[in-house]
Amino acid sequence: MKSNRLSFVWKQMNVQFHMRALSVFSFGLLVVQPAMFSGIGYLLARMAGRAMPDLFHVIIGGGIMGLWSSLVFTSFFDISNDRREGTLELIVGSPTSLGSVLAIRTLTNILTGTISLALSFLVVMLVFHYSPPISNLLPIVFSLGIMLFAFWCIGLFLAHFQVWSRLSGTFINYLELPIAILAAFMFPFEYLPHWIRWLSNMLPIRWAVTALGTSFQPVIEIQNLWLDWLFALGISCVYLVITWYLSSRVHDMIRVSGELHSV
Amino acid sequence: MIRQLYGNLRLYVMSAWYSYRALYAWQSLMPYVSVKIAFPLAQMLLFIYMGRLAGLQDPLYIVIGNILLLPATNSVMGVCMTIDGERNFRTLPYLIASPAPRGPLFLGRSLVHIIDGALSTVSALLIGHFIFGLDLSRMNIGLTALTILLISATGCGLGLILGSLSLRTREAWTITSFLMMALYILCGVNFPVEILSRPLQVVAYGLPLTRGIAAARQAMAGAGWSTISSMVWGELLTGLVYVCIGYLLFTWFEKLSLVDGKIEAI
Repeated sequence: MKSNRLSFVWKQMNVQFHMRALSVFSFGLLVVQPAMFSGIGYLLARMAGRAMPDLFHVIIGGGIMGLWSSLVFTSFFDISNDRREGTLELIVGSPTSLGSVLAIRTLTNILTGTISLALSFLVVMLVFHYSPPISNLLPIVFSLGIMLFAFWCIGLFLAHFQVWSRLSGTFINYLELPIAILAAFMFPFEYLPHWIRWLSNMLPIRWAVTALGTSFQPVIEIQNLWLDWLFALGISCVYLVITWYLSSRVHDMIRVSGELHSV
Repeated sequence: MIRQLYGNLRLYVMSAWYSYRALYAWQSLMPYVSVKIAFPLAQMLLFIYMGRLAGLQDPLYIVIGNILLLPATNSVMGVCMTIDGERNFRTLPYLIASPAPRGPLFLGRSLVHIIDGALSTVSALLIGHFIFGLDLSRMNIGLTALTILLISATGCGLGLILGSLSLRTREAWTITSFLMMALYILCGVNFPVEILSRPLQVVAYGLPLTRGIAAARQAMAGAGWSTISSMVWGELLTGLVYVCIGYLLFTWFEKLSLVDGKIEAI
């Protein structure tokens, strides 16, 4: 039974990796687009007369942006593609739950997205000769893990949207930049006006990114870091519960009404 | 001669009309308006915050640059999408097989995107004014409108070149999307072209939009025709060169596709 599950996970990841990761589109999302955003940040710093940009927000923030973009444009549109190819019904009708399929797909998309993050770390270290303090290694790794988990939860939440309604596609397309702003990938969170921060605070990735930023500071305020970690994990779990609840409701609904393709 | 001209004009207008019906007529007003406001606003905000992080105090350079790139984005993406869309909906071989002249057929479809780009710019100008305090009182309205239309039109040439790739590869739309990002760096949108290294400056001035955006900036600051005329003529010339290259590339790829029968095979 256990080996069957592992085999299922492996097969799903393999298919997903071949279909999504090895494409020109993914290369653009993971390499070209983050490089452009970081390039703009770097040139803006030059325009302001600074020799060195803020490495965390400009370079690593670009990598996080790549991870986010790839998540939005792959996880969400996986279901659109299934709908278009006519495989959505087969997936929903199969004994494996749609949630499991989407969970593994999203995980694969996240793992692929880490390429962008890894490249940004490489650029920071090799081009800008920055090395994070060794004492911070554990907080950095922990923050990274929590950030990937937060992205996975949000990705899973978004991936389910398309099952619930095909109309969601009209606005998900435009989520990329607003969420990048609300989660403050490429600038400090404190720049956001106070009246919008409540919305940011509802996103686990905002807490996770702040935690990662704090982990890179020479002196870490451990109390703040713990708070960011806890909020990131807690809100991620809330998203998971909402996803699970809505998913089961929609499953029941479409089985009764047989309206999967028309939802 | 006159009959041929009339036929081409008719085809141009009809292509624009069908393009409008296919892309916009079925949309309700609310999502369209929200996209026209949400997207430019998000784009401006992201770059403004990045500018603030870099230490720039005045965000207006970024605001104006992003407003001026909107009509170009519409026309480049619009023309490319027109050709790529035919491929996706499997209608490209029928168009290739038809005797209709390619220029009015495809450029006609871009007319809607030019108009849409102009509308996007107007809405972005209002956002710039009401949210970011952009001063429109000194604007030379006539010249600003002219330069914005010019940017839209010259962007079509770049769109035609990129759209032509659809005849040979299914990744044309992807390539276009990512090349559009490069325009944010190369065309003087968020910072002056002079910030770039020398080779990149050469590339920047070899592109349409760079001179057009610079001219529009000046017109928005109240400059007269004598100040911006050289930039306007330069932009027009660059745009014409790109339209010609795009047209030649399209006809060349078309011939290649007919020879090896690979319009949809790649």
